[in-house]
Amino acid sequence: MAHSHAVKRYSGIMDWLTTVDHKKIGILYLAAGALFFILGGLEAILIRVQLLYPDQELFVGDTFNQLLTMHGTTMIFLAAMPLVFGFMNAVVPLQIGARDVAFPFVNALGFWLFFLGGLLLNLSWFLGGAPDAGWTAYPPLAGSQFSGRGVDFYVLGLQISGIGTLIGAINFLVTIINMRAPGMSFMRMPLFTWTSFITSTLILFAFPALTVGLVELMFDRIFGGAFFDVAKGGNVVLWQHLFWIFGHPEVYILVLPAFGIISEVVSTFSKKRLFGYSSMVFATVLIGFLAFMTWVHHMFTVGLGPIANAIFSVATMAIAIPTGVKIFNWLFTMWGGQIQFTTANLWAVGFIPSFVIGGMTGVMLAAPPADFQYHDTYFVVGHFHYVIVGGVVFGLFAGAYYWWPKMFGRLLNETLGKWHFWTFFIGFHLTFFPQHFLGLMGMPRRVFTYLPNQGLDEGNFVSTIGAFLMGVGTVIFLINIVVSVSKKYAASADPWDGRTLEWSIPSPAPEYNFAQTPLVRGLDALWKEKMAGNKGMTPAEPLGPIHMPSPSILPLIMSIGLFIAGFGFMYHQYVLCIIGIGITFVCMLLRSVFDDHGWHIEKEELEKKGAEA
Amino acid sequence: MSAHQDPSSAEGRPYKHEGPKNHYITFILSILLTMFAFAAVIYGDLDRGFVLWFLSILAIVQAVFQLVYWMHMKDRGHAYAILYMVMGAIIALTAFAAAVYWMWW
Amino acid sequence: MSSAHETAGRLPAEPEKATLEGRNKILGFWLFLAAEVVLFGTLFASFIALRNQVPEGPTANELFNLSMVAISTFILLTSSLTSVLATMALHRHHLNGLLGWMAVTVLLGAAFLILEIYEFYEYAHLGHKFASSAFATSFYTLVGFHGAHVLFGVMWITTLILQTFRKGLTVVTAPKFYVAGLYWHFIDVVWVFIFTIVYLMGKVG
Repeated sequence: MAHSHAVKRYSGIMDWLTTVDHKKIGILYLAAGALFFILGGLEAILIRVQLLYPDQELFVGDTFNQLLTMHGTTMIFLAAMPLVFGFMNAVVPLQIGARDVAFPFVNALGFWLFFLGGLLLNLSWFLGGAPDAGWTAYPPLAGSQFSGRGVDFYVLGLQISGIGTLIGAINFLVTIINMRAPGMSFMRMPLFTWTSFITSTLILFAFPALTVGLVELMFDRIFGGAFFDVAKGGNVVLWQHLFWIFGHPEVYILVLPAFGIISEVVSTFSKKRLFGYSSMVFATVLIGFLAFMTWVHHMFTVGLGPIANAIFSVATMAIAIPTGVKIFNWLFTMWGGQIQFTTANLWAVGFIPSFVIGGMTGVMLAAPPADFQYHDTYFVVGHFHYVIVGGVVFGLFAGAYYWWPKMFGRLLNETLGKWHFWTFFIGFHLTFFPQHFLGLMGMPRRVFTYLPNQGLDEGNFVSTIGAFLMGVGTVIFLINIVVSVSKKYAASADPWDGRTLEWSIPSPAPEYNFAQTPLVRGLDALWKEKMAGNKGMTPAEPLGPIHMPSPSILPLIMSIGLFIAGFGFMYHQYVLCIIGIGITFVCMLLRSVFDDHGWHIEKEELEKKGAEA
Repeated sequence: MSAHQDPSSAEGRPYKHEGPKNHYITFILSILLTMFAFAAVIYGDLDRGFVLWFLSILAIVQAVFQLVYWMHMKDRGHAYAILYMVMGAIIALTAFAAAVYWMWW
Repeated sequence: MSSAHETAGRLPAEPEKATLEGRNKILGFWLFLAAEVVLFGTLFASFIALRNQVPEGPTANELFNLSMVAISTFILLTSSLTSVLATMALHRHHLNGLLGWMAVTVLLGAAFLILEIYEFYEYAHLGHKFASSAFATSFYTLVGFHGAHVLFGVMWITTLILQTFRKGLTVVTAPKFYVAGLYWHFIDVVWVFIFTIVYLMGKVG
C-alpha cells in the first residue's frame, strides 16, 4: 500500500533537529538537562568555593548574586524540569502501550522552546551580566530601578521556556487519557505514569500563574508599567503571590515524577508488587491538590496576619500525610522482598531517608512562629536541597540507571555506578546537613561572605568539601555514560526482570514502540503475563501497517522566532519583535494549512524485524 | 496519529442535534442577565456590597449557561473537560482570595 | 487501514470526533482552556488587587462609558451565538452554512476590536495611559490580553475559512472548526467577567 506523497526521512543532525519521535525527544531533553545540570553545578561549586573560608573575596557582591540566581534558576527550570520531561517522554508511552504521544509535533515544539529559552537566559552571562535578583526575582529589587538587563533575560528566557513546558504537559495529559492500550484502565497504570499524569495537571495550572507574573514584571521593566511600582499605586506583594502560586506547585512538579521512579525501581528490585497501589494513587492526587493550597508558607514573614499564616500552616503540614503514606508504602514493598542492590536501587534506597529528612525540616518550617527565625537563613537552604537533591536528583539518577538500557540498548556500568552513588551520596550529606545548623546559628542565605569566629567556619568548610565530593561523583557519572555509549549494544529487552510494559519490547525501543498493541490484563501488565507462563504480551490487534507522524523543522524555527522576539523586547528593538513573532506565526500558518498525513511502516518490514529479533 | 475512520461512528447520517432552541434560549438569557447587571449599576441607589455580589452571581450564571449549552459541556464525553475547568476555576478563586484578603493592610 | 482522507463524500455523524486525532485535539483544547482559566484568573486577581490604585489620572468611574460597553458586549455575545450556529451547520455537514456563520463571527469580532481600539484611544486622551497608574496598567493588560485573544481568534478562523474552501469539510478539517468554536465561546465567557468586574464594578466603586 504505497503512499502518493514522498516519505521524508532525515539522517544525522537533521534527524535530531526535525524529530517528532518521543524517544528521541526524550534523549534531547536528557542531554540538554544534563548540560544545564553541569552548568548549574559549576555555579554551585563557585559559590561554595567563595564560602569555603570567611572574608574571602573571590566572587563577591553582584557577581555572587548572579551566581546564586543562575544556580537556582538553571537547576530548577533548565536542569530538573527537562530531566523529568526526558524520562516522561522516554517512558510513559511505552508504559501505557502506546505507539506515540498524542501530539508529536507539539512535543517537539515544547522541547525547542524550552531549549531556546534556556539558551537565551544563559547568554546573559556574555551580554552584560546574568540576572542577579535571586531565582525568585522579587520587585522592587527585580524592577528596572534596582536591577540591570540581566533580569530581562530572566523574564524572557523563562517565559519562552515556560510555554514549552505547558504544551508538553497538555501533550502528556491527552496521551495518558486517550491512548492507553486496551485493558489498561487508570487503576492498572504504572505509578510513574500516574505521577506523570498528576505532574502534568500541576504544570497545566501552575505555569499560567508564572506566565502572568512574568508578563507583569516585563511590562513594568520594559514598558514602564506600574504593577509593582509603589509610587503609582502598585503592590509588590502581588508578585509574591503570583510567583508562589506557581512556585509551590512547581516543587511538586519536580518531586512527583521522582516519586514515580522510586515506586518503579523499588518494586522491580524487591521482586514484589508495589504495596498499597490504590493508596499510592490517592496520595499522589491529594498531594497534587494540596500543592495549590500551601503557597503562602513562603510568605509567612510578609505580614499577612495570623489568620492567613494559620490556614496555610495547617495546609502545609497536611501535605506531609499523603507523603508519609508513600514512604511507608515503599518500605512495606521492600519488606519481605528479594532485594537486589543494583545502582538504581541504591539511589532509590538512598532517596528514602534523605527525602524524609528534607520533608521533616519542611514541617518544621511550616510553623509560622518558628519560620520567623528560619526564614531567609541557611536552614531553608538546607531544607530545600534535601528535598530537591535528596528527592528529585536521587530519583533522576535512579531512573537513569534503570531505564538506560531501554533508551540506549546498553547498561551503565554497575561498578562505576556504585562509586558514583557513594561519592555523591556522602558528598550530598556533607554539603547540606551542616547548613541546617549554620542557619540555626544565624547565617543568612544569599550572602557572599561571613565573619570569622562566629561559629560558622567549620560548617561552611565541611559544606564546601561535600560540594567538591558531589562534583567528583558527577564526573564519575559522566565517565560512566561515555563508557556505556562506547560499548556495542549489550542490553537485552528485559535486563531487570521488569514488571511493566516497557520491558516487553526490544532495547532500545524500536521506532514504532509496539509492533502490535498489547492487551493488558492487570496491574504490572508484563509481570502478570510472566506469572501466567507467557514469554511476552498478548497482542490486541493483528500485525498491520503502522502510521507514523512526519518529521518537521517548524518546531525549531518557531522557537527561534520567539528567541529573536525575546531579544527585540529586551533591547527595545521592536522591529525584531515583529520579525520574530512573524516567523512564529508564519510557521503556525504553514502547519495549519499543510496537513501532515504522516507515513506508514509496512507490514512486511515489521515481519522482517520480528524474524530478526 | 492515524486519521482513519472510527468504526463506531455512524456513517453518512447527519448528527441528530437537539435543534437550535437551547442555543437561542442561552442567547436571550445572556442578554437578559447582562441587562440586569447594567441596570443594577445604572439605577444607582442600591447598597454597594449587595450590587457587587449580585453582579458576581449574574456573571457566574451567565458563564455557566454559555459553557454548558454553547460549549456542549452537558453532552456525554465531557467528563475531563468539566473536571479540568472546575479545577482551574478553584485555583483562580484562590488567586482572587489572595487579591482580596491578602494584598492590602 | 484506510487512508487518512474521507472517501465517497460520506461524513460520519460528528465528524470532529470521528478520528483519534480529532478527539485528541478536542480534549487537548479543553485542557488548554482550563489553563487559560487560571491565566485570566490571575490577570483578574491582579486587576482586582489594583483597581482602586489611582494616585494620578482618572478613575474607573470617571472613565467608563457604559453604553459603549453594552454595545461591545452585545456584539461579542452575538458572535458567540453565530459560532454556535456554525458548529450546528458542521454537524449537519452543511459546508456553506459553516463557512457563512463563521464569516459573520469573524466580522463581528473585528467590529468588537475596532470599538475597543477606539475606546483605548479615547482613554489615552483623557489621561488614562498604560504607565499612568497601577489601575491603568492592570486595566490595559487585562482588557488588552482579552483583545489580543479576540484578534488571534479572528485571524485563526479566517485562516480556517480560507483553507476549507479548498479542502472541503473532512474528518481532518472538522476538528479545527470545532476547536476554534470552543475558543471563541471561551473568550466570550471571559468577556462576561470583564464587563462585570472591570466596567460595572468600576462604576460601582
